[in-house]
Amino acid sequence: MMMGLTSYLLISLFLMICGIIIMIARKNIIAILLGIELILNASALNFVAYSKFVAKNFDGQIFTLFIIVVAAAEAAVGLAITIRHFQISESIHIDDATQLLA
Amino acid sequence: MFVKFLFIASSLLTIVSALSMLMTKDIMHACIFLLGALMGVAGLFLTLGADFLAATQVMVYIGGVVVLMLFAVMLTGGNELNKRGLNPVPLMGNKFTFALGVFGASMFFIVVYQLLYKIFHYFHLSVVDSYESTVEKIGRLLLTDHILAFEISSVLLLGALVGAAIIARPKRN
Repeated sequence: MMMGLTSYLLISLFLMICGIIIMIARKNIIAILLGIELILNASALNFVAYSKFVAKNFDGQIFTLFIIVVAAAEAAVGLAITIRHFQISESIHIDDATQLLA
Repeated sequence: MFVKFLFIASSLLTIVSALSMLMTKDIMHACIFLLGALMGVAGLFLTLGADFLAATQVMVYIGGVVVLMLFAVMLTGGNELNKRGLNPVPLMGNKFTFALGVFGASMFFIVVYQLLYKIFHYFHLSVVDSYESTVEKIGRLLLTDHILAFEISSVLLLGALVGAAIIARPKRN
């Protein structure tokens, strides 16, 4: 009962809500990226829990593997953009990022 | 018994770390708490029997992404400059809009709960205690059924690496 699907879904829901609040309430670009990582982890946890309890195969785990790959790529590119933006405008406040062309 | 203990410890670690990420005012601390949350999710993967995923999570996220985040914090002026963006935004809206939001959220929750009711009440299987490695099965599936996604993800990683190197190159003067 305690380690059923429901508890995993509730933990994942909690992670998702924390990530969304961090994404909305913070104005620091790196903090927003941290929130995105939390949301991706929540979805990965959902995939693994459903593949364990409902589908009973390994498709969810493989999907989670691809989520991890995409999250790593997203973090690399996002942080590169952040560093570039810092070089140009000396700030990582999201409201200062108003220009596409440097 | 051990799995139950692992589940309780990992879920507590995840929840407490996510809450502290939400509450902290320091971006370095937020990165460290993210590490705790990812570690907790890796433990939850273990309780679900996904050992390969837990190892990948520890290697890629904790070894790669969190360290990358710390590098980015350091490269963009360290702690002092980053404090500015961490102050929360003042609340927008009035009591009416908040009440409307709470009403909408509870309606959404009720609808989703009705949709998922069956799943919540019919899948109370506990985790099997017998251990079985998933590495071989995942490897087989990756190179047979999911080979296209595998190749595309490798191209995606290459593109992301090259793109990051080009975007973050130093200014030419």
